[in-house]
Amino acid sequence: MAKEMFLAGCSAAAYGAALARVEVITSFPIRPYTGIMMELSKLVANGELDAEFVHGEGEHAQVAIAYGAAAAGARAYTGSSGVGVTYAMECYSPASGGRLPCQMAIADRALDPPGDFGSEHTDVMSCRDQGWIMGWAETPQEVLDNTIIYYRIGEDPRVLLPQFCCQDGYFVSHIPGKVVMPEQSQVDEFLPPYKHPHALDPTKPISHGPQIYPDQGPAINLQRAQAFLDTPAVIEEVIEDFNKIFGRDYKPFLDEYRTDDADFVFFIQGGHARTARFAVNHLREKGVKAGMVKLRFVRPFPTEAVAETLSKFKAVGCVENSTSYGGAMKGGNLIHEVRSALYDVDNPPAVTSFMSGLGGEVVSLEEFYSMAKVLAEAAKTGKVEQYVYWVGFDKGV
Amino acid sequence: MSKKKYCEKFSVPEHLTVPLGACIPAPVKEQRAMITGNWRTERPVIDHEKCNLCLNCFIFCPDSSWHLDEEEEKMVWNADFCKGCLLCVAECDVDCLDAENELNFKGGVVRLDKPY
Amino acid sequence: MAKAVETQNLERVKSVRRVPQEEYYVPGHRTCQGCGPALCYKLVSKATGPDSIFLGPTGCMYVANTSYLCSPFAYPWMHTQITNAGAVASGVEAAYQVLIRKGKYKGKLPNIVVMGGDGGSIDIGLQAMSGMMYRGHDALFIMYDNESYANTGIQTSPMSPYGANTTFTPPGKAIPEGKVLFPKDAPQMVIGGHPAVKYVATASLAYPVDLINKVRKGLNVVGPTFIHIHCPCPKGWLFDADKTIEVAKLAIETGMWVNYEWEEGEYTYQHTPKEYTPVKEYMKTQERFSHLTDEHIAKMQAFIDAKLKAPGKPVPLPVTSPRESV
Repeated sequence: MAKEMFLAGCSAAAYGAALARVEVITSFPIRPYTGIMMELSKLVANGELDAEFVHGEGEHAQVAIAYGAAAAGARAYTGSSGVGVTYAMECYSPASGGRLPCQMAIADRALDPPGDFGSEHTDVMSCRDQGWIMGWAETPQEVLDNTIIYYRIGEDPRVLLPQFCCQDGYFVSHIPGKVVMPEQSQVDEFLPPYKHPHALDPTKPISHGPQIYPDQGPAINLQRAQAFLDTPAVIEEVIEDFNKIFGRDYKPFLDEYRTDDADFVFFIQGGHARTARFAVNHLREKGVKAGMVKLRFVRPFPTEAVAETLSKFKAVGCVENSTSYGGAMKGGNLIHEVRSALYDVDNPPAVTSFMSGLGGEVVSLEEFYSMAKVLAEAAKTGKVEQYVYWVGFDKGV
Repeated sequence: MSKKKYCEKFSVPEHLTVPLGACIPAPVKEQRAMITGNWRTERPVIDHEKCNLCLNCFIFCPDSSWHLDEEEEKMVWNADFCKGCLLCVAECDVDCLDAENELNFKGGVVRLDKPY
Repeated sequence: MAKAVETQNLERVKSVRRVPQEEYYVPGHRTCQGCGPALCYKLVSKATGPDSIFLGPTGCMYVANTSYLCSPFAYPWMHTQITNAGAVASGVEAAYQVLIRKGKYKGKLPNIVVMGGDGGSIDIGLQAMSGMMYRGHDALFIMYDNESYANTGIQTSPMSPYGANTTFTPPGKAIPEGKVLFPKDAPQMVIGGHPAVKYVATASLAYPVDLINKVRKGLNVVGPTFIHIHCPCPKGWLFDADKTIEVAKLAIETGMWVNYEWEEGEYTYQHTPKEYTPVKEYMKTQERFSHLTDEHIAKMQAFIDAKLKAPGKPVPLPVTSPRESV
């Protein structure tokens, strides 16, 4: 019988990393992800995990240490939150362009100003174009599983990309839930030892990252683009394998909840999906045909799956937890992706978005109910009045 | 829904191909992809009679274009890479090196494998 | 960090004749004629040999060396950002520590060497360099100092000397001396603030055997080491390409540059002239100082005089800096 534990997301991530047998860990404190590193430092100090624990002098250094270790052939783990994530921005593209699959655990946090500890997706969503695999977990269990899954995907020779393994700050990182601990033998079966085709090794010398002709610029970017085109198939394969070995029931890209006969759905990623499930249940009790579709990977964005799934409904409400000031839809980021994915669909659903939970504000059941009102109306008329609603501050919500 | 493909497999012409992650094999003795001998306007010419093998040309050459042939006991110059900075001429202990104009055919002009 | 892994022991070179003829920084790079940093790279590579991993932050020695998808490095080499060479080296070293410990890598610990320019070492790269020095990684950080951001077109760096004409400090009516600030003292910053560091040295291209031996000594020390190397730059300092070594020698003769070693608190000085030549002679060799008046040169001489008070003399405790004016 598998061991069950009561863990918050931070601890779950740490145990996931330990089970993945990470070899170089690099830390710098920032709330709320710090808990992950505190947990790992204990495991290393007690000799339960044989890894180098390197105290980076900032997030920029953390990512550099991690991709340096990945380049030398070690499985590397780091993490951050909020402004720490954006401080390290310079290092993301060298890691993905260099095809160095280290992992960065994120417990997200609002960016300044002003100082705010709360969860918000803007920190990592701002880095979505840096060539990293990226997605959010909803529960501590999913955090632990994703940590192991992401290494397997990122280290696949068809992929070789670094990964942002994200969870909502506090809502997931600090609220404990039941976690079924995998056996080490299961993880070892699922995740082979890390091997890089061009590791820095004096017996096989290579030059890593020389200057190129400007004309080769597109070619090197095509490489990453190709990797992202190849990744979805790898994800499907990996998730299937994971489910088989660990006895779970993950969908590769979209987790649907009560969508069978739904008129409208909340399209959401991360920890607020848990509240959304309750909201859907309550709405259903009142006869409202609501459902939820949870996004598991925002990079690579599962365009085909989103088009196919969301076109079944009359209205879709993207529950945004990040900002894109001045963007096409004047609100968050998910709606851009969703509307693009649905552009070629016949009879697309009405799509709008809800700015909610910024700065760590709780997206309450009441907020979901008011979103539901807008969506029910849109489902009825087939039209949306606005592309973005700032929940609690906008008309009708 | 429309089943449009977002991208077909790319085809990159060979001269623009970049190896995975821009990792290239390390050179062994020379980097033939970056011939610099054609930079010269003047080249060093050695008088082997005068040379006392002080090795200053070898040690001070930024382009590693002087080496000692241990068997022949004489210095060997690498025409393909010498940029003609003439540091060797300036640093020679016994003044056995002279600068010669690159276009002076009497001393023999250096011809490269291909023009760059 | 546990330092149980087996490290290399590199022999001291006795003379130029004993310097390996093999090149590990091979010919075929786009550096300028008479390039000091390129010569530095060559000498350092001869010192380290092939069982090494080099990290090259952005700078001349990245851009000019690896143009157009080719490189002159016969050992594994990796580009790092100008900001993070010390951190990437830390990651590589940590990886090797754990891989050797777990038996995944069979050899001895490779020589891990950062070749940072002055900017990549103590200006924008300072934080990462300091982090590596603090954490005790077994790696050598070399700062090849050509006293400017040369790759981008000779802009001032914290190492540019007072009075230098750079493209960010052009002399003009309002600012006649060009650069008005005096440079940082890089080795003293490392010595002064990093207890894990046991060996720091300065070296000059004018004394290549000394340079090679300092590199080998630095690599043999277990833990982080730092070597600051004076690398005259014909293009940036504006002198003829065949004068690189002459300028390097004059720097030592005038006291612009001091060769020394610091080993666990003890200083030893090398190549100290019996009598210093006035700094004006050094400045005359370079166009970048040609706009300076006698008044400016006197200011530079006073700076040198203060700097030179310590070398070669017994230094009363607790003063340990050669720059400390007694």
